Amino acid sequence: MTARTLAVVSAGLGQPSSTRLLADQLAAATRDELVGRGEDVELRPVELREHAHDIVNHLLTGFPSEALRQVLDQVTGADGLIAVTPIFNASYNGLFKSFFDLVDADVLAGRPVLVGATGGTARHSLALEHAVRPMFTYLRAVVLPTAVFAAPEDWSAGTADGALRARISRAGRELAEQVHRRPPSSGPADPFALTTSFEQLLRGGDG
Amino acid sequence: MQFGVFTVGDVTVDPTNGREPTEGERIKAMVTIALKAEEVGLDVFATGEHHNPPFVPSSPTTMLGYIAARTERLLLSTATTLITTNDPVKIAEDYAMLQHLADGRVDLMMGRGNTGPVYPWFGQDIRNGIPLAIENYDLLRRLWREDVVDWKGRFRTPLQSFTSTPRPLDGVPPFVWHGSIRSPEIAEQAAYYGDGFFANHIFWPAEHTRRMVGLYRQRFEHYGHGSADQAIVGLGGQVFMRRNSQDAVREFRPYFDNAPVYGHGPSLEEFTAQTPLTVGSPQQVIDRTLGFRDYVGDYQRQLFLLDHAGLPLKTVLEQLDMLGEEVVPVLRKEFDSLRPAHVPVAPTHASLRAAAERAGQAGENPATDLAGTGAETDR
Repeated sequence: MTARTLAVVSAGLGQPSSTRLLADQLAAATRDELVGRGEDVELRPVELREHAHDIVNHLLTGFPSEALRQVLDQVTGADGLIAVTPIFNASYNGLFKSFFDLVDADVLAGRPVLVGATGGTARHSLALEHAVRPMFTYLRAVVLPTAVFAAPEDWSAGTADGALRARISRAGRELAEQVHRRPPSSGPADPFALTTSFEQLLRGGDG
Repeated sequence: MQFGVFTVGDVTVDPTNGREPTEGERIKAMVTIALKAEEVGLDVFATGEHHNPPFVPSSPTTMLGYIAARTERLLLSTATTLITTNDPVKIAEDYAMLQHLADGRVDLMMGRGNTGPVYPWFGQDIRNGIPLAIENYDLLRRLWREDVVDWKGRFRTPLQSFTSTPRPLDGVPPFVWHGSIRSPEIAEQAAYYGDGFFANHIFWPAEHTRRMVGLYRQRFEHYGHGSADQAIVGLGGQVFMRRNSQDAVREFRPYFDNAPVYGHGPSLEEFTAQTPLTVGSPQQVIDRTLGFRDYVGDYQRQLFLLDHAGLPLKTVLEQLDMLGEEVVPVLRKEFDSLRPAHVPVAPTHASLRAAAERAGQAGENPATDLAGTGAETDR
């Protein structure tokens, strides 16, 4: 059986990072739900921090280093995507946006995406709805209804198994359902694929 | 195999002393570089075409015509000719004229141009880049091959009973290369017509170039112009040499760090590992360049970028001396000994004319039968 692949992108800057922690919990919840549906699951964790210089270099030179190319292929070729960012100044952080700026407009089309964020205060929570969700909508990804925000109080002992846990489970279930009902991804898009015949181009069709 | 230089024609401040050449100095420097290229035994000089600062070469045939008059055997080319924003009628006329003046020492490389604002200055729209390249080039070919053209298309005024003058020299249109960094449609276009494909190469990883050239070769064979390894491939390259490789790195680093395109990004070491840029001794340049063949196959033209990022003319001329004296003679010998007999060299006016004469139909599309031009001389 082909394993279903989940790319788990975390844009946390600290180490250890609460953003990575949330990403891992979302990934585990999704994996458990998929396993419950009889699927094998391959998780592909991506810490953007490790690729920060390569991301900037790609923005400047127009091409990825070999290591970053592999990461981009892993992310764009996965069956589902979990994308988690810290909220800075009322939006995703620059590292998160810079990474997704390197993703061509079509390659995530139709792909189920679970978005999550962490922040220093619960007042940041709607940044998921006004910043992160629209970006993936622009990329024509299928952004799941439940977006998960973790504020400092969510991590405290009294609530860790409470409201946040419930949201993580619900979000994981939503992503698992979307991945489960789709055929496996055919892998990353081939940038060198011809999508039209030359005769068609000559006739004025633009493919 | 053909070796040469290609220039973007940028006016860039020398980061080591803050000096910026005037446009006039830069234009004259480009000419000096071309003359030096012939003097040191290179085969090709190719100029860019740009219509915005900080670039000077807006009028390539003016410059190439001037160089033609001052050289004997240098092949004059472009890198690239904007097939999107130039009127194909004017390209047909200008380059046929240049062909006559230069006794056939002319070919062209088609490119689209990637600067959005330039297109509307010429009445076009960058979103039509590919369709413009396809339609304009198809018309250009007809203008060179048919004495009287009736034509109607999407992007320019229709033509009725139009004859482009002068007719191509000996009825043989200039050979055409198509340059593209990342558009498979352009590799397809080059393959469809049996034209050459030139991979910019210098700003991209080898894997990228390997795949673009591979696509072109496969489609060249698909369209019946010969086997895939007979397709006509050119590559860019970028080098900086000193006798001692550490001296080369030390001298080039400030130019690299501040260069347009990749400056302030990856380190010199990273960029050298990721792209064909070679900074070191002449022997290192030889070894690296011979390695290009490992991923694109036997190819026909190697152009080097030497004069950019504010490098002073004196330094560029020193680079040309080393290239001509130490690097190219070795590369020429090695590449030629490695190339199988059935793989053609790059077409020239002489080889295309000979092919046309053999076909007994001078002027009727000789460029599409490259395999037949086989063992002609390079220049």
